[in-house]
Amino acid sequence: MGIKIGSPSFKERVQQGVDNDFMRNAVSSAQGRFRSGKENAAEELGNWEEWRTLGEEIRSHTLENIDFYLHQLSEQVEKHGGHVYFADTAEDANTYIQDVVKKKNGKKVVKSKSMVTEEIGLNEALENVGAEVVETDLGEWILQLDHEPPSHIVAPAVHLNKEQIRDTFVEKKGYDSTSRPEDLALFAREQLRQEFLSADIGITGCNFAIAESGTVTLVTNEGNARMVTSLPDTQITVMGMERIVPTWEDMEVLVSLLTRAAVGQKLTSYVTSITGTRQEGEVDGPEEYHLVIVDNGRSKILGTEFQSALHCIRCAACINVCPVYRHVGGHAYGSIYPGPIGAVLTPLLDGYEDHQDLPYASTLCAACTDACPVKIPLHEHLIRHRQIIAEENKQGPKMEQLMMKGFAKWASTPAAYKLSTKMARTALKPWTKDEYISNGPGPLKGWTDVRDFPAPEKENFRSWFKTREGGEQRNGNS
Amino acid sequence: MAIHNREAFLERLAGRLGRSPRTAGVERPVWRVHPQKDVLNGLTQDELVQVLEKQCKVIHTDFRRTDCVSLSQVLGEVIEAYKGNQLVIAKDERTEKLGLTSYFEDLRKSGKAVHEWDATLGKENQVIAEKADIGITYSDIALAESGTVALLNDQNQSRSISLLPRSYIAIIPKSTIVPRFTQAVEQIRKELTAGRDVRSCVSLVTGPSNSADIEMKLIVGVHGPIEATYIIVEDK
Amino acid sequence: MKVSLFITCLCDTVTPHVGKNTVELLERFGCEVDFPELQTCCGQPAYNSGYLKQSKEAMKQMMRAFKDSEYVVGPSGSCVAMLREYPHIFKDDAEWRQSAEDLAGKSYELTQFLVDVLGITDVGSTFKGKVTYHPSCHMTRLLGIKDAPKTLLSHVAGLEFVPLPLASDCCGFGGTFAVKSPVISEQMVQEKALHVLETEAEYLVGGDMGCLMNIGGRLRRTGEPVKVVHITDILNCRD
Repeated sequence: MGIKIGSPSFKERVQQGVDNDFMRNAVSSAQGRFRSGKENAAEELGNWEEWRTLGEEIRSHTLENIDFYLHQLSEQVEKHGGHVYFADTAEDANTYIQDVVKKKNGKKVVKSKSMVTEEIGLNEALENVGAEVVETDLGEWILQLDHEPPSHIVAPAVHLNKEQIRDTFVEKKGYDSTSRPEDLALFAREQLRQEFLSADIGITGCNFAIAESGTVTLVTNEGNARMVTSLPDTQITVMGMERIVPTWEDMEVLVSLLTRAAVGQKLTSYVTSITGTRQEGEVDGPEEYHLVIVDNGRSKILGTEFQSALHCIRCAACINVCPVYRHVGGHAYGSIYPGPIGAVLTPLLDGYEDHQDLPYASTLCAACTDACPVKIPLHEHLIRHRQIIAEENKQGPKMEQLMMKGFAKWASTPAAYKLSTKMARTALKPWTKDEYISNGPGPLKGWTDVRDFPAPEKENFRSWFKTREGGEQRNGNS
Repeated sequence: MAIHNREAFLERLAGRLGRSPRTAGVERPVWRVHPQKDVLNGLTQDELVQVLEKQCKVIHTDFRRTDCVSLSQVLGEVIEAYKGNQLVIAKDERTEKLGLTSYFEDLRKSGKAVHEWDATLGKENQVIAEKADIGITYSDIALAESGTVALLNDQNQSRSISLLPRSYIAIIPKSTIVPRFTQAVEQIRKELTAGRDVRSCVSLVTGPSNSADIEMKLIVGVHGPIEATYIIVEDK
Repeated sequence: MKVSLFITCLCDTVTPHVGKNTVELLERFGCEVDFPELQTCCGQPAYNSGYLKQSKEAMKQMMRAFKDSEYVVGPSGSCVAMLREYPHIFKDDAEWRQSAEDLAGKSYELTQFLVDVLGITDVGSTFKGKVTYHPSCHMTRLLGIKDAPKTLLSHVAGLEFVPLPLASDCCGFGGTFAVKSPVISEQMVQEKALHVLETEAEYLVGGDMGCLMNIGGRLRRTGEPVKVVHITDILNCRD
């Protein structure tokens, strides 16, 4: 699939999102649940800020020494019978995995949820070598049948209603029962159970790789990751290179932050830590294991002021507090990574050309920065993106560039500034009615299309201050 | 060589960080804060059991408490409630220690299929587990805070037992209950530093499987077991 | 105590009465208030849009204007938050680094100044009416001022306070965002307006005129009678 999704016009995607009433209600309701879940979980701990500090420390140290820990990880995985491939690009990762599938004559692949495999477009690559790929996370399976991209990092099918899901099941799988979620889920259980049992190859993502022992930890509620890693004989883990921690101690801290920040749980139903191949005498687990470590643009972020964006643990807490996301939905971002983290990461991984609108789709309210369990300064990254787009790449609208030049002059020339405060009321008089402007000129039009603008007050502050009794006036260099 | 393209890859990363690649000499710092160590600090075993019991309600898990003498009776009640006719159990010395060997024999005599995981039978174990109504394992470490059973999987306490059958029963010796994941990790790391190799799988199981992927409605029972019971056994 | 008023370009141009309220309030509590004439704009409109170079021109002007001030107090969380960013913005500028530190170190939002510096929690004002409060994002998240406004409002005689649902969610102003992204901004301000109406309050109060003009302008456009006031309107009300 790749990172990009949807039509190329940001404006179009936003309008589609805003017009989709069901999606907006669903997203709003989901946000409400996730947010209160996280708040309750954080309150119960009582010292959430300390946990965030620890989370940030761990991620920061790890990224500063990412080469060391990846080296240690690969040594350990090899020690435990696994193969490790360091993939520079999406193509490299896909080619390596295709080779594994071909060598094993793999016909059916079962996958548990993995954003990085969507990013690199793995499913298509597997289908190209004749393998049937089955997503097993309930939300992802529904989207796969529907040929739709995810709209949220943790709850990918949040934008669909149960009737739509039932229709998909009927059309694609011959389902003939109700649209009750329990019935839909039971059907999915029965269908996917067969897939798990007949698959040759299991592919997972990676929540956290543990360098000290070559372990990969997977966090789910459904049980599909356990199936994918226990039943097929060949297993592949695909991991974004930054999804690593030094030790088990660090893993459990970050898992604790993840489950609370994402869905308000103390732990998900299943936290599974797998290492290499199955051992002597074991039946469950793979006999062949591959770890594919993916760069795909992440290394470009290292050593830049955006490095902390790589601290992300994919909890979606930022997405869950974002009011912009609430109104436009995930698909509007045009990326498989939506919301604030999506707006920060997508231009870094996929370039500014197609994603210039994303850093501007924000009021910089900083709710995301506040919510992030590992303290990524998301809103500051958005400002930095804007600087690169507007000032360094000079990609800002021509009108805006001119206006900003005018702004600089106006704000550094007190005489011009003072005059404008005196003249504002008069200048806007032609558009003023009853002390308000409803149909403003020039830049004011964007404002008045949505809301009234108050006419500047009659009595100017400076004249008031000058003439009042006992008023003091500090005169600078005028 | 089972590792491919590592050198160039890590050189690139280190280059971005303004230095050459490191394969040694990086010390993991002592972190400034450790709030995880304070959670449920100082609680007695009985108090931890109470926390565990409370948490079971949240995670849709049934909770029973008993001692070695009555364990088989309680276990029998749960098996009855789960309408279990085909069971798969871990091969474990705790069966004998907790006095369950003869109980399982009696179950077999009464017509129930009780399969103890047998590594020599290979994949057939999985087939049996898949058809089983109930999977029963012993908890290696239980986490009170989250209501979690930590299973240190190996060839006898295999992953499928707590995964494939329709229902799941965890027998939790009271002495193995710890406050949270932090203490379980301490035990695991102690083993690692003592030279024991890491297991191919450590499974943390918290109640039955679930999903909220459809309209955010919580559905209990998706791919893993649809129901679960924890039986705490006074094992002093 | 000598205090310089930072009126903010928005209040200077559109709503000067907020500046007047602020002066009177500070004087009531013993401050000698002056008004540095050379002040213009904190630079936020350019800075937030990514025009760092242009924003710095404004910022330097502000540092010049308040060079001799002891305290700089402004009736806007957003604008003061911008001043507090100057040290970070000028950290590599040998010429302006110290001035940036100086200005940031002596700048306060009004309610913060009243409560934390002057130690006042009851300004002795009266304001009869049912009031709900919108906590603007930069004031709460960037300046960390969560309690001061509510503390002050809680001591106002005659004021009936009703909490705003989803209060901490952004109103959709975001400075230039309101005109650059009108579709999304409209959705956000409409949602905020509906929450205000849910409270059945007669007045909406806040600490940032930008937010208030946004929400107030929307309420008026949709024909709602809710009156929108700046917190200084309430705190400076003696009737």
